[in-house]
Amino acid sequence: MVTKAMLGAGLAALLVAGAASSSFAAGPEVVSGPGHNPSCFAPFNADTKHFKFEAKEPPYRIALANGFVGNTWRIQMIKSLKAYAEQPDVKPLIKELKIVSTGTDVAAQIAAVDNFINSGYDAILTIAVNPTAFAPVIRRANRAGVVLVPFDNVLDSDKIIQVNEDQSEIGRINARWLLKHLGTSGKVLEVRGLPGNSVDRDRHLGFRELMEAGGNSFEIVEVVGNWDDGTAQKVTADAIAVHGKFDAIFVQGGSTGVVRAMMDAKHPFVPISGEAENGFRKLCAKHADEGLLCSSAGQSPGLVAIAAKTALTALQGKVLPQYVSVPIPLVEHPDFKANVNYFPDLTDNFFTPNEFPPCNVNIPATEIMAKTEADQ
Amino acid sequence: MKDLKLRLGQSQGVLLAILVFVLMFTLYIANHPAGLTVPVATTAANKAVLLALVAMAQTLPVLTGGLDLSVGMIFIMTNCVASSLVSGDPWQVAVGIVIVLLTGALAGFVNGAIVVYGRLQPIITTLATGAVYYGIALLLRPVPGGEVDEDLADIMTYTVFEVVPTSLVLLLAVVVIIWLPFRNSVIGRGCYAVGSAEGAAYMSGVSIDRSKLAAYTLSGLLAGVAGLMLTFITFSGEASAPIGGTYTLNSIAAVVIGGTSLYGGTGGAIGSIFGAFILRTIDDLLFVFDLPPLWQPLFQGVVLLVAVSLGAARVFRIRNRLELFK
Repeated sequence: MVTKAMLGAGLAALLVAGAASSSFAAGPEVVSGPGHNPSCFAPFNADTKHFKFEAKEPPYRIALANGFVGNTWRIQMIKSLKAYAEQPDVKPLIKELKIVSTGTDVAAQIAAVDNFINSGYDAILTIAVNPTAFAPVIRRANRAGVVLVPFDNVLDSDKIIQVNEDQSEIGRINARWLLKHLGTSGKVLEVRGLPGNSVDRDRHLGFRELMEAGGNSFEIVEVVGNWDDGTAQKVTADAIAVHGKFDAIFVQGGSTGVVRAMMDAKHPFVPISGEAENGFRKLCAKHADEGLLCSSAGQSPGLVAIAAKTALTALQGKVLPQYVSVPIPLVEHPDFKANVNYFPDLTDNFFTPNEFPPCNVNIPATEIMAKTEADQ
Repeated sequence: MKDLKLRLGQSQGVLLAILVFVLMFTLYIANHPAGLTVPVATTAANKAVLLALVAMAQTLPVLTGGLDLSVGMIFIMTNCVASSLVSGDPWQVAVGIVIVLLTGALAGFVNGAIVVYGRLQPIITTLATGAVYYGIALLLRPVPGGEVDEDLADIMTYTVFEVVPTSLVLLLAVVVIIWLPFRNSVIGRGCYAVGSAEGAAYMSGVSIDRSKLAAYTLSGLLAGVAGLMLTFITFSGEASAPIGGTYTLNSIAAVVIGGTSLYGGTGGAIGSIFGAFILRTIDDLLFVFDLPPLWQPLFQGVVLLVAVSLGAARVFRIRNRLELFK
């Protein structure tokens, strides 16, 4: 420390001033599990630590520091949070809900979280624009006793509670559906997501883990669909043109486009495991009799509600795992039901899964669509 | 008396920017739930100083009549360099900081050399070099990560004696140590002369090449200081093209709001600092006034347009239409 002060004459004085304010972080107490309601707040794995925050009296002030805004997933996420906060059992717990979107500038998002900490909010939910840049904010949140809950794009940290779905497990779920219909061999099309993204990687590896397990001999054709209907439709059409017929399809996202490509190419309907877009489920329900047997599981914008529930539970002083693995919302043939888990009257881009039975969280589509994307 | 009047007249843009900033910041603080506390000021200062440094970097090429589209990318590149080098033993940290600043200065020098000796348009040159610098950043940090000396980072992002945000002290130091001496030097005055009337400057014996080279190099150095500061704020590095682009465009806006003419020759870095502060306060106003998220870009755009328009207020006072053409 002494030598560090030698860095520059001016820095020496700053160090003294800084050392006082940058002392140790308090943060939650690490306790042993199991935590509160483990069927909803499932620990990510056996090694996950458990946290206990100091209990505070409700109602609480909750904030969402969102980054990017402007795609349908994010807009539905914001609407879902507002709908969730209005539900009768949640409403009494929340005094104030504030939502700010800062765009792609990481410094601006950090400042937004800092602003919420400075303003005395009890809990802050965030989808970080960068998984590594939040270490200083995490320390400031812990020191101030604020519950910071990153979800969806989680941070590289074990010092705060994080909420996400197990992406490898989504890949395995997708694989199980195909294996159920295919047996041990066949020709499978795999439509991957955005290259370089950890979600794409984890789903792919989870899928391959089961498909390539001993005793199986599948021919898997891999194309890149970027989780986008248009791209997925094009690459599927190309793959069908080149390879002829597939026995089953696995698509990470842009599932509606993949089914459309199949129909356009007059490819016979085959079992398919895909994401949870409304358009995909509409087609699944309509063409199930013709052999389009679907499994639909996905990353729900309703994840925000679980993040909020996690924050509210932590604020009440209950024990929670450091990394909450949210139950994956899964619907498989023949369980597709109109206006229950898909919505014929809503757009294809609507993300259907908004209920998490183990958590007792269900945000009906009508409640989401009734909300504007405006701040409170 | 006449001297004072002349000086006031020359710094009209700066004074206006300061006034607008003070008004907006007062509005922000008055509506902030916590009021003006040290943490609130520090949060605002950290992100404002970041943009202010990039805006200062933009000011220098603009003064010579150019435009630097690579400042944001130099900022990102030095952030990535800093996230690899500014950690470890104290001497490693010190050497790391020096290398980061030299990297920035070198990148600026390359811009300047191409503009001066290659005789290319600054806007095209820096568009190309900006892509190169982003490419280097991406090679250094294909995925976000890295580290920085946390003690030093804490010092730089907290306060001095629990009162003044350290980042403001850093900004003041940059102004006093780099900007003011440069502005008053022969080369610095040469930059103004070149931007004002290059031909006349040449005929008056101003070293045009040296002035431009110095302006671009110093610009790179300032972007390097900003990159270092970003590393202190995020504890890591990220080769992010959107961030680079955002800071480049915002730096140009800050320069204009601060009263520096895009035609060159008038203005200065102090105005750009307050221009940057104004831009950041616009974002902060979104925090205290609950605007719908999808309305926020529209609001920012309208306020920005108004702020930039203030710089054109002089046209109301001209007596002769010919004055418009200068």
